[in-house]
Amino acid sequence: MDPKAKWREHQRRIKQPSNISIALAGSVTLEPLEPYVGAHLLQKGFKSPNIVIGAFNQIHQICFDYKSVFGNEDFDAIVLLWRLEDIFPLALDQSLEKQTSTLFQEIEKLAKAIKNLRGAFNGTLIVSTPPYPFLPEFEVLNLGQGVSGMVVYQEALHIWTEEMSKLKRVQLLDLHGLLLNTGLKNAYDVRKWYLYHQPYTEIFWQEIGTQIGRIISAEKISPKKCIVLDCDDTLWGGIVGEDGLQGIRLGDEFPGKAFCDFQRYLLWLKNNGIFLTIASKNNPDDVFEVFDKHDAMVLSRKDIAAFEIGWESKVEGIKRIAKKLNIGLDSLVFIDDSAKEIGEVRDRLSEVTCLLTPEELAHLPGLLRKTDLFDTSEITDEDRKRTEMIVSEQSRLSLQEALSEVDFRKSLKLEVHVFEMEKQHLARITQLINKTNQFNMTTIRRTQNEVEVLVKNKDFLVLGCEVKDRYGEYGLVGVAILKKKNKVCDIDTLLMSCRVLGRGAETAFIAKLAESAEIIGCEEIYGHYISTPKNKMVRDLYKKHNFRHDSESDAWIVKTDAAPKVPKHIQASLRLVR
Amino acid sequence: MSDVLIQLFADVLQVEPSALDDNISPDTLQRWDSLAAMHLVAAIEEKFKIELSTKEIMEMSSIGRTRKILQGKNVQV
Repeated sequence: MDPKAKWREHQRRIKQPSNISIALAGSVTLEPLEPYVGAHLLQKGFKSPNIVIGAFNQIHQICFDYKSVFGNEDFDAIVLLWRLEDIFPLALDQSLEKQTSTLFQEIEKLAKAIKNLRGAFNGTLIVSTPPYPFLPEFEVLNLGQGVSGMVVYQEALHIWTEEMSKLKRVQLLDLHGLLLNTGLKNAYDVRKWYLYHQPYTEIFWQEIGTQIGRIISAEKISPKKCIVLDCDDTLWGGIVGEDGLQGIRLGDEFPGKAFCDFQRYLLWLKNNGIFLTIASKNNPDDVFEVFDKHDAMVLSRKDIAAFEIGWESKVEGIKRIAKKLNIGLDSLVFIDDSAKEIGEVRDRLSEVTCLLTPEELAHLPGLLRKTDLFDTSEITDEDRKRTEMIVSEQSRLSLQEALSEVDFRKSLKLEVHVFEMEKQHLARITQLINKTNQFNMTTIRRTQNEVEVLVKNKDFLVLGCEVKDRYGEYGLVGVAILKKKNKVCDIDTLLMSCRVLGRGAETAFIAKLAESAEIIGCEEIYGHYISTPKNKMVRDLYKKHNFRHDSESDAWIVKTDAAPKVPKHIQASLRLVR
Repeated sequence: MSDVLIQLFADVLQVEPSALDDNISPDTLQRWDSLAAMHLVAAIEEKFKIELSTKEIMEMSSIGRTRKILQGKNVQV
């Protein structure tokens, strides 16, 4: 359905309270944005978005007292769009006469105002870059003249993005980038500018609205974690088993170039924390020969977290990949050029997102460019190292096969470090809170701003857990949020990344959690298990750790002195800041 | 099949089609404010795949006038 009709339909039907509230304001009329932002949020599964539009050209007012413009509602996000020509028309004129200092000072002042808003508002704050000015002096078609405008503009943009990157937790909406993507000619509608003070075409509003919807959703929805790739006619052209190493299409000339570019895009995703894996119907040696010996291959064997090559159904291979990487099937994206393979996976593993490669080969490299499947609000160091960690995991597994369970645990030299979270960990904690599905006792999701509020609140203790062993560091893999009520410590959140489970790290984490509860003056710990379709694996976690079930409150309770101890094979430490 | 133009106005203005006729104007229907006018233009242009001039937009002072303008542009309404 067209987004505007979808949004109108939603507005007619709903009377339930909204579960996500967005405030939009800008230096132009923004009402046309509402249906596009709303429709995107609906499509992403938000049941009842509420969108409030502030009167135009009130940006400074909003920065100093946003409630005076938007009202007293609790907003999840504030979005501000602005243009140089609306807010600083005089300074912009002067800047073309080589007097740029006023303009640049004004921009810095606006940045300070945004900083003020950031301090006063706890939700997601999205601020645009100023788009290239739509003024005769800046006309790109004017011979020569456009160049000086471009220089001033570039400098202004540079100052703005620098200032915004200094502020923590401000998401930039690249309005200028979107304008490039749509094109000046397609983005401006001068009729509507004169009639309604809104400069853009519906096409461009849709682009902006979708982008805003993506930024907001990325804060709340977990992105896909893994791509499962076919090989023949997906990673390279032709069939390696028939055409041979030299016969496949891969290289500097089209069609081989399209496959190289696609691989380059995949590599970029891998470097941002997405697992790349292979499910191919081939002889394993043929595929490995391409990976190891073909000059034009962009991806190498170490970029691939799992290979499933053979002649059985890809459904089985995909299931094994999910198991091996310890992720849910719904975190997988399967890409293949065969409609039959896609159909089979879609029918039998409905949770997996399936993408058929485009018929037009020139569109293959862009296949993943426009999707929002991998949208994430921030990329952490753990993301960048993920594939390396899995590859070292594989050496751990081969050691495990050679040793008895007890000897294996000892030989791992596991270290668990539990510590009170501070500001610098916010991005990673938030990511864990929103991405962890399986080892997650309560599955309470939170935005970065919500987590920050808890980190600062003295009634709460937010703990992190880092794990390493002789093969490498897993990084920050566990989060616990404790709420102190007199002598009772309530475990609001307890979660761990599944990669480290089964070696006693979780017991060490709980032991240290209990120790910190004792330090902050608690005698009893209350744990909760909220069942979801995905967290069955931790149903008995508290039971296994000496907690007893209290049927009245449905909580799991343990005295701090009866809590489990750190297993002998693990070296554990605890650091609290308070 | 109801009148296409009335249906379009009803959708955008969020009122029942039965409440609308060609005499309806911003003066008789409170919901038809300047914002609604903006949404109406966008909806009309999209629905009938035409582009209205600012002069035409400013003359769209009732549903009947809008119908006339569209008919003048060979739109069957």
